[in-house]
Amino acid sequence: MNLIAAVKPWFSKRVSRWLDRRLPAVSEVQLHRKNIFILPTGPGFLYLSATALIFVTAINYVLSLAFGLAFLMTSLFILCILHTFRNLQHLRIRGAGAEPVFAGAQAAFVFVLYRNAMQVHEMLELRFPHGNWSYANVLDNQQERVKVFLPTQQRGYLRAPRVTVQTRFPLGLWRAWSHVDLDMSVLVYPQPIAGELPIASGGMSTGDSNSVQVGVEDFHGLRNYNTGDSPKQIAWKNLARGQGLKVKQFVDAQDEHLILDWEQLHGLDTEERLSRLCYWVLSLAQRDVDFGLRLPGVEVCLGRGDAHCKKVLRTLALWNTGAQ
Amino acid sequence: MEVQTQIPRLTLWWLLAALFLVITPHLFRLPLWISLLIIACVVWRILIFAGRAAFPNKALKMLIVFLSIPLTIAQYRSLGAGLDAAVCLLIMGTAFKLLEMRKRRDMLIVVSLCYVLSMVGFIYSQTILASIHALITFTVITGALISLQRENARSSFTGNAQLAIRLVAQSIPLTIVLFILVPRVAPLWTMPVPVSSNKTGVTDEMSPGNISNLSRSAELAFRVSFDATTPIHEELYWRGLVLDYFDGRAWRRSASAFQTYAMMERFQRPEQGVRNGTPVSYDIILEPTQQTWIYALPLAQLNVSDVIQDRNFTLHKEKPVTQRFRYQVQSYLNYDIDVELASTLEARALQLPEQELNPRSKQLAAQFRQEAPEDRAYALRVLRLFREEPFFYTLTPPALGEASIDEFLFSSRQGFCEHYASSFVYLMRAAGIPARVVVGYQGGEVNPFEGYTMVYQYNAHAWAEVWLEGEGWVRFDPTGAVAPERISEGAQSVLANQPGFLEDSRFSMMRFRNTQWLNSLRLRLDAMDYAWNRWVVSYDEDMQLQFLETLFGEKARERLYLVLGVAISIFFVIAAYFLLRGRKQKQYDEATKFYLRLTDDLAAQGIVRQRGEGPIDFCARVGKEKPELAEAMADITTIYVQLNYAGKLGEGQKHELLFARLRQSIRELRLTLNSPWRRLVLRAWPGQL
Repeated sequence: MNLIAAVKPWFSKRVSRWLDRRLPAVSEVQLHRKNIFILPTGPGFLYLSATALIFVTAINYVLSLAFGLAFLMTSLFILCILHTFRNLQHLRIRGAGAEPVFAGAQAAFVFVLYRNAMQVHEMLELRFPHGNWSYANVLDNQQERVKVFLPTQQRGYLRAPRVTVQTRFPLGLWRAWSHVDLDMSVLVYPQPIAGELPIASGGMSTGDSNSVQVGVEDFHGLRNYNTGDSPKQIAWKNLARGQGLKVKQFVDAQDEHLILDWEQLHGLDTEERLSRLCYWVLSLAQRDVDFGLRLPGVEVCLGRGDAHCKKVLRTLALWNTGAQ
Repeated sequence: MEVQTQIPRLTLWWLLAALFLVITPHLFRLPLWISLLIIACVVWRILIFAGRAAFPNKALKMLIVFLSIPLTIAQYRSLGAGLDAAVCLLIMGTAFKLLEMRKRRDMLIVVSLCYVLSMVGFIYSQTILASIHALITFTVITGALISLQRENARSSFTGNAQLAIRLVAQSIPLTIVLFILVPRVAPLWTMPVPVSSNKTGVTDEMSPGNISNLSRSAELAFRVSFDATTPIHEELYWRGLVLDYFDGRAWRRSASAFQTYAMMERFQRPEQGVRNGTPVSYDIILEPTQQTWIYALPLAQLNVSDVIQDRNFTLHKEKPVTQRFRYQVQSYLNYDIDVELASTLEARALQLPEQELNPRSKQLAAQFRQEAPEDRAYALRVLRLFREEPFFYTLTPPALGEASIDEFLFSSRQGFCEHYASSFVYLMRAAGIPARVVVGYQGGEVNPFEGYTMVYQYNAHAWAEVWLEGEGWVRFDPTGAVAPERISEGAQSVLANQPGFLEDSRFSMMRFRNTQWLNSLRLRLDAMDYAWNRWVVSYDEDMQLQFLETLFGEKARERLYLVLGVAISIFFVIAAYFLLRGRKQKQYDEATKFYLRLTDDLAAQGIVRQRGEGPIDFCARVGKEKPELAEAMADITTIYVQLNYAGKLGEGQKHELLFARLRQSIRELRLTLNSPWRRLVLRAWPGQL
């Protein structure tokens, strides 16, 4: 066991180097004779042992027809090589990228599978190493999209490893597979973690300090209506839902400038700080206010909207990773 | 590693179907309680499937297993058959596994067991029917595997069945190649053979009534194919056993006859037989008899490793014939055996019961002896008795008492061959002439389609052999004196109208031999079965070698592996070519499908659409040839062309509407085109419209 444990990493490194040479990363790959591997499966070996048992019985009881059955099983086994192989060959796979995710979530890489006019592909299984299987069939349509999930841990760009595309169709006796590298990456944002709003009190905000409370408790969006509040501030939608008369806290702070500041998060390490910032980016983006971001060496100006939010998150994801 | 570990519902049905097919043939052979237990397991599983019952818990499973195994062993111990018990346990194991089958892994085990079980059937039967059954079973098991793998839109019953059939059909060519070419080896170790308690055919004891019993059966005894011409019916005396000990009622093999195979081997004296002239060569496939002796025309000579000829020139196999047994024999129909009779044999051939029960017969023998002092003349005199006195050949003779010979010769005078043979030999011995009873079969029916001879149980016969000075053992058939047609034409021609004939084979097609087409169907089926046995079931090392030598010359044996390798490669390449090339599927869109149906109908009316003739040209031609159709046809063609050729009209509603209109118009037109009868069919089966 120890020996195996010692040899395994060395071996897998050799294999992956060999694969890199044989199947280099490309944006689109077509499976054919040279990049499909095929071997019997566990059930395949079970089937073979049943065949062997029948063969031995045929010999010992001199049963001509039992010989016939053993040969039929053997023929079917051999034929399955072709059928299983065929189910994978000519399959064209293109990587269609993946939506950015937050660290800790599963990144969904989209693969587009194309078939040619001559054949269909049934029960294709795809996964990243140690991941969960995703299934796909390319039958009536010329192309199918399939999502393959990959767990993420760190922010930054995550390069997708080789994806295993395999099939055991039609009988599960053989497994044909290929490991393809479609040169895909996914942007991973920091994991959002709730915490104090990292805005410098006073200096950062201008305007009425009554309406902008620095602190987590007050900043959950709504507060009860007080006489004298501007009707503009009333959350009419909530009123309509019968949730009582509430006031949107930032409604009157339209010219508010919220700059989320790295420096405000004391006593935390880098990733934790980025997680808190990420949380607030998400919260503020929902609230439809202008906000900005200040990190050591990088600053994102005030802005709002989807594009702005993405830009900010991207900055958080890539800060200090060397990538742009 | 499996994410999908559940068994799909469709798969379970496939598996149950496979199991049903695999177990059914055995159910009737297994003890009743085991059959019921298995059925209970299957029903339980279906109930689990339907959500009406739970999986059995561990204690119950244990209980079932620990009770059923010893019970089974106890059940079979009395029969002393290891194999039957093993088969039974295998089937029960499969049924139990079915009960606790939850995951794919379990199912794969059940599938493997099904494969093995489908082979087990061959131990008991290798008929064409059994093979077809096994092939269907195999396809269904394959279907079960497919439905386990396939979890998509195509996994329907018909979809999976089609694929299973295609896979099996594609495997058959290679199967045939392997069947012919893979070297057959001798058994690796001896196996227990299934012991069947019902021995069939001629037995080694002949008492009044037990040969006539065989005439109730239309079962096949053996089939013979002669290399050259078939000898005449009167010559077809298939010798089985020599019975030379008479106890006053039954004839047996004398106690001192060599009983064991090893002893027979030691005492056989082939030099005692003189073979004259050219032999008749033939090939026999004997149905299982569960007995050790086998049948051949006298005087046989054969070269089969585990068959020997004993001192009486009868043939014995080392082990009982439990499966169809094929052997090749050469018989010298012109023969002399025991011209010099050994004293032990003479003593045995003169033995009579110590207690004198048949004094009148003794007296008769003495009287005949005076009339004919010469041995042959005496024998002929006895035959004349049977011929001239009112003796009857019947299947249902009256029962005989203690003095069986006297009663038969002087009062009842009705008997079957065993009565005649028995009394004839008795009269010989009473006159001091060595004689013995021979049992076997006489005659046979020639299959007109294949030219081989079928010998049935009702052909069972008993006759006599008398030792004559200077000639050795000479065959005398007293039945021939009473019923000469029995010998010249066969049992069925004499017995057909007698009560009791073929009574045990009530549903045998033999009973309908007077109906021309049924009889010819029977003969054809038998010819098929025979060919199957001759070329498939008994295909063995020798046949393989013979066949290969005709194909590849003298050195076939050395080249066998090479030939095998080449054959497999050729198959693989051909299969790969056709499979991997893919095939362009003819896919008509819906509109074209309907349009083509219309053109088919028009073709039936004599307007055939030419190759390459576009719909518009075709429409013009239809209008010219059948002006009454012009309007409808133009309408249809416009829509069809719009749908098909005017680019992508878009998938939306417009397309749908056009299609519906096309379909409606085509329907109406087709209904006017077809004959009233066909119209009725089309209406009854709207899918075709």
